[in-house]
Amino acid sequence: MNLLLADVRALAGLPRTAAGRRVLAASGGGLLLLGLLSWWFANALLDQPGLVVALHDASDGRSQAALCAHALTACPMVAAWLGLALAQRTLFEAPELALWRLAPLPPWRPALQALLRAGFAATLWALAIAGPGLVAVLRRGPAPAWAYALTPLAVVAATLPTLAASLAAQLLIVRFLAGRWLRLLLVVFAAAGSIGFSTWLMLALFGKPHDHARDVVAFAAGERATPWSVGPAAALLAAAARGELDLRALRDLALWLLATFAGFRLVSRAHPAACERHLAAELPAWRRGGGRWPAGLAANVLRKEFAQVAQQPGALVGFLVFAVLVFAMCQRRVLVAGVLAAPSLPADVAAFAALLAWWFLAVLLVLYAHMGRIAQWDGPQWALWQCAPAAPGAILRGKMLAVLALLGWPLLLVAFAGVAVLDARADVVLAYAATALGGSGMALGVLTIVGTIPVLVRHDGDGGSLQGGKGLVAALLLVVGMQVAALPALYAWHRLGEHAADHGLALDDAWRAAPAVIGAALAYGAAWCGLGWLVGSWNFARLLRPR
Amino acid sequence: MSEAAIRASGLGRAFDDRWAVRDLDLAVAPGEIYGFLGQNGAGKTTTLRMFAGLLRPSAGELRIDGLTHADAGRALRRRIGFLPDTPPLHDYLTARQHLALVASLWGVPRRERDERGDRLFDALGIAGQADALCKAASHGTRKKIHLAAVLATAPSVLLLDEPTSGLDPLAVRQLKDLLGEQARAGATVFLSTHGLELAEQVCHRIGILAGGRLRAEGTAAELRAQHGDASLEDVFLAVTAAAR
Repeated sequence: MNLLLADVRALAGLPRTAAGRRVLAASGGGLLLLGLLSWWFANALLDQPGLVVALHDASDGRSQAALCAHALTACPMVAAWLGLALAQRTLFEAPELALWRLAPLPPWRPALQALLRAGFAATLWALAIAGPGLVAVLRRGPAPAWAYALTPLAVVAATLPTLAASLAAQLLIVRFLAGRWLRLLLVVFAAAGSIGFSTWLMLALFGKPHDHARDVVAFAAGERATPWSVGPAAALLAAAARGELDLRALRDLALWLLATFAGFRLVSRAHPAACERHLAAELPAWRRGGGRWPAGLAANVLRKEFAQVAQQPGALVGFLVFAVLVFAMCQRRVLVAGVLAAPSLPADVAAFAALLAWWFLAVLLVLYAHMGRIAQWDGPQWALWQCAPAAPGAILRGKMLAVLALLGWPLLLVAFAGVAVLDARADVVLAYAATALGGSGMALGVLTIVGTIPVLVRHDGDGGSLQGGKGLVAALLLVVGMQVAALPALYAWHRLGEHAADHGLALDDAWRAAPAVIGAALAYGAAWCGLGWLVGSWNFARLLRPR
Repeated sequence: MSEAAIRASGLGRAFDDRWAVRDLDLAVAPGEIYGFLGQNGAGKTTTLRMFAGLLRPSAGELRIDGLTHADAGRALRRRIGFLPDTPPLHDYLTARQHLALVASLWGVPRRERDERGDRLFDALGIAGQADALCKAASHGTRKKIHLAAVLATAPSVLLLDEPTSGLDPLAVRQLKDLLGEQARAGATVFLSTHGLELAEQVCHRIGILAGGRLRAEGTAAELRAQHGDASLEDVFLAVTAAAR
């Protein structure tokens, strides 16, 4: 209980310091923004004409239960993501772990504390994503006031079992199978969890409501299975929406939570041995020397960014997992089924557009991570940049070069996927690659501008890294910025579609226009790049100033 | 009188209306090793961070090699080498790669960088770890890695925050030798430390900071003489107790 109290006191103490207040404001602001987006999305979904009738038919009259269950599916998604992405850090590398293990506590207590911490973070995220949807369903019930109070309980009950299962499974695996390969495998899982969750969240929040309405109906009809941890919570809220308290669902839910804690406590006894095995499986630290590194600043910063990817197993694995995800996305023809089936477009034009759409989605997935390379991830090293006599613009140029090179990865992956999945011709793939190169310049410009905004990326004191909501605001700003920057391309595509529908589009005409399209894309990308460097250099200089 | 390498006049820094350092007047000559003593929270790190250009003074004036950070900016930073208590290493670079990065930021040519790097890694006893990731280095080794990187830029003013914390006795000895070598070559060394023995053995002059103000200053012998030939430890305790 003392550990729990210490964490609660630490949280309660946040408003007392300026840095703590900033953390609170940033985290709260980010989650609030996510909650607002979820609220807007939930209402847009519920306003879809015919949704309620279709749901009623598909679910044998249990439309509210279906809607609640659909909203609650976000909870196990969040839990799986955090369970995979944070498990190693939470269970085996928490800064306080050494103290907890030295203290005369039962052997299972540190692991349980790790679960509680992860559970708290997961519940906040799940509340921000699923909570608004649940409240929207209850409002249309219309549900009595007490029904709303059940929402946090339902969210916790839908989140914790998956989180605990994920942490427990990893704890046991490390206890009995620890080794360098396993450690790498867990890094793969963590990367897959993070990338998978980002994709899901982006498609969920920025997708079209009528597509989601179709999903909800399919979900209600039982075409997609309800996650095991969601059932009792959905039943409880659906009854509450009708003004009834479903005691059976409440009992099931309490039993779920009890079983979760009891099961995790049992597994937690293996935690001390698992910690030792985790430490013993440390990956080798030797790398090639830096004797051949260049002396020039921009080249050196570029090399540094590359080395940090190549020499960090987690980062390298993340790139490979991303490749698998991109191929899976292309295989399932995400976003582009309509384009590829459009009868008015020649196949080459449709393939070109599909490749660009996939590239855009793939770049959105990695943009935030690459933005961190500009300033955000250098928190602990910020004093070095500040002390250095180098021009801020020169440092930034090296970082931008590195990011531009790394943005070549999604470009290449989609090109390969184009050949493998769409059987696209070489000249179509080349045209795509040239256009996407311009797009990469645009992406670089946007991420440099957002990634150097002092209020979003400034480090506190000695460079403690920024966490939580502040990063979330930056991520949302990046997505919106990319969409705004891509508006001319979307407009051109829209006009082309209209023209093709009215007058048809000959392949020869399309090829004649290709050089102009590619040239315009490259020029547009270069313009964004220049703008990004100008604004970024100014911001970077502000970030480097003494405080 | 020759221009002081570091000259602070009425220097102060406040955080949220609370003064961390106040009315600091001191001058350090070129080639001098100056030791800054003080209890935890006395203001030593704040002073060093102002000297390094990381913090803007709230009051007073600071000149390093006759220049101010506000006016000279990058030209002044080029002359300064700063070793913070927590070295700013990138965990996934090797020691050699970190040194290369720091040298590029200070514009050190490649040949000089490699020569100085090899010599410094040897002198600090970390040549065997030059190709290991910084992530795997102990606290003391991390300090040595960054010290090697800082010295590879050949600074004329060297600022060291608790340079011996986490170092073993052999490494402390190597550090003392290196500092002496730097001073003989004309560099000014300003270090904060809790090691009274280090201060007594290496520093030409010592300043004792308490409650954000400089309470005593002089050579170790002068300070001891002012307190009836007491040990430096007794001098330190007496000065800091009087300031409470």
